[in-house]
Amino acid sequence: MTAQTIIQSLASGLLMGLLYGLIAVGLALIFGLMDVVNFAHGEFLMIAMYATFFLFAFFAIDPLLSAPLVAAALFVFGAVVYLLIVRFAVRAKANAGMVQIFSTFGLAIVMRGLAQYFFTPDYRSVTHSWLGGKTVSIGGIFLPEPQLIGAAVAIAAFGGLYFFINRTDFGRALEATREDAGAVALVGIDKNRVFALGWGLGAALVGLAGAIMSIFFYIYPDVGASFALIAYVTVALGGFGSVFGAFAGGIIVGLVEATTALLLPPSLKAVGIYAVYLLVVFVRPRGLFGSM
Amino acid sequence: MTITRRNVLLGATAVAALAPIASRAQTSEVVIGVLYPLSGASAQQGVDAQKAYEAALDVINKNHEFDLPMAKGEGLSGLGGAKIRLIYADHQGDPQKGRAEAERLITQEKVCAIVGTYQSSVAVTVSQTCERYQIPFMSADNSSPSLHARGLKFFFRAAPHDEMFTKAMFDFYDALKKKGTKIETLALFHEDTIFGTDSANAQTKLANERGYKIVADIKYRSNTPSLSAEVQQLKVANADVLMPSSYTTDGILLVKTMAELGYKPNAIVAQAAGFSEKALYDAVGDKLEGVITRGSFSLDLAAKRPMVGAINALFKEKSGKDLNDNTSREFMALVVLADAVNRAKSTDGEKIRAALAATEIPGEQTIMPWKRVKFDEMGQNNDADPVLLQYIGGKFVTISPPQGVVAEAVWPMK
Repeated sequence: MTAQTIIQSLASGLLMGLLYGLIAVGLALIFGLMDVVNFAHGEFLMIAMYATFFLFAFFAIDPLLSAPLVAAALFVFGAVVYLLIVRFAVRAKANAGMVQIFSTFGLAIVMRGLAQYFFTPDYRSVTHSWLGGKTVSIGGIFLPEPQLIGAAVAIAAFGGLYFFINRTDFGRALEATREDAGAVALVGIDKNRVFALGWGLGAALVGLAGAIMSIFFYIYPDVGASFALIAYVTVALGGFGSVFGAFAGGIIVGLVEATTALLLPPSLKAVGIYAVYLLVVFVRPRGLFGSM
Repeated sequence: MTITRRNVLLGATAVAALAPIASRAQTSEVVIGVLYPLSGASAQQGVDAQKAYEAALDVINKNHEFDLPMAKGEGLSGLGGAKIRLIYADHQGDPQKGRAEAERLITQEKVCAIVGTYQSSVAVTVSQTCERYQIPFMSADNSSPSLHARGLKFFFRAAPHDEMFTKAMFDFYDALKKKGTKIETLALFHEDTIFGTDSANAQTKLANERGYKIVADIKYRSNTPSLSAEVQQLKVANADVLMPSSYTTDGILLVKTMAELGYKPNAIVAQAAGFSEKALYDAVGDKLEGVITRGSFSLDLAAKRPMVGAINALFKEKSGKDLNDNTSREFMALVVLADAVNRAKSTDGEKIRAALAATEIPGEQTIMPWKRVKFDEMGQNNDADPVLLQYIGGKFVTISPPQGVVAEAVWPMK
């Protein structure tokens, strides 16, 4: 194993990890806000990828240009999902936890089924784009441009989110609602509006990730499943509800995955991720940056 | 409403009176279960398979002039012109769902045979279930050699398995080597279910026997989000031939990741699966000029046997695609099965099994480059000759075996 191999693996792992973080942050945001795990998170990613694909296929819009459009569309979608489904699920009088799980889980299955019905199960790809297949080589280390841009977008998104939560009125309202949803009503904050915007924001972030990913990944109705699983681990590792935790968790997952594949047969690379996760659960059950 | 004794008696009489009609009606159709992934990661293969079976059904149930078993005349003459009806079921690529659906097809839908299943891992459980109920299982497109090696009585496969496919690859390497091409090292890249592992085992065995060195043997988890680490290892090994055994999703990601990490293999010889799917070439075909894949079918055969072109047209009308390695095998599987039911003159599992065991269809009466269809005691057809196809200028040309060659192989690939 040469130094070059190790650096290449770590670089690939870091780039992928930043994307994992971007995919997971929406999940962490929504959970932090209202203690609901969105089991349709992978399907949100899937429709974002399809939206990017169709904008490319019908209007020849490059994924980089359509990324803000897709994020905006997903924002609306996320808010609507809250207003039409989750709002009622959290009101359940009995078994509220189960009702929440099954409502988003059911949504995931419906979305997958509809995607298969309307888009067919065929594998789609954005065949040519500004960045697709381009790669930068620095001293024999190859850094694919789509992943580089993805990493930059992820860092920018986290920076923006940090600013948004800590420096804006809405961000403060978000934090306050998360601390005590009952008390904020007393100071005139509409809880439903904050939740809807929270869901919109969470969905917009995964929309951004989906648009970037469609440059270098195949698209089909089940594409969200494997990424969603990683997103759940990322969030649990970083700490449920912690936005910064999702960022750090993503990077850790990416690096651990790459390192495991160097040391063990690649079919076992998920083992490394879950081993680290187990370790964290033993040592720090609320996750690395969890504040609960 | 209250149910009186008279109602019950009336009902019973009606059922008794209708029963003979019902049983007579049953013999006018032969029900066969078709078990595929119709949702989940491999749903597209299931959808394509459906089209292949619809094409075969058309040929069997309607009158065609093709020189194929069951094509002439309508339905199965041995059963008084009975038509075949297919019942589709979805196993989602999951062996346990496959087992449950096979059981449902047999006990509730009363199918007389099952054909399937794309993934070899699902064929394992489905064929065991069929064996238990004494119903023939026709393996259309599973290629793992360990499937027939279990010695099941009700397992039949007309198409080649991966040891036969792999032998064709190594025969081809030997021939190239004799002409002075340098082929010494191989890199294996395979997914971790029975398809990938069986394929890699066959490749390892032949490589050892014939003196090729395996410099990388990478087993990966299917539908993984990233293949960078795997491709990095392939790149470091830089073998003379890269031999992937991958389904469509991983195949696309493999080719994309190779391009991103600046790895240009000298040659790729694929164990079909993803590498015979249109979706893969739509996505990354521009990076695959000169890729070689094994196959059981070649459209080049249409020049010699016009029926192949006509049946391809029939399938294309339904699916918008040309027949490929998978869909051609699926088509033939139903034809071979229908031929056996016809000779059995019965829908009884044991009788169909006996008829299948006695199958003897000459190669010219198939759409495949096979010598004939004849099953050995394991239910495997050993006279199904595989072909090697090379992707050149947007289509496949046959480059091996020698008797079917249309073009000289381009080596190394572009």
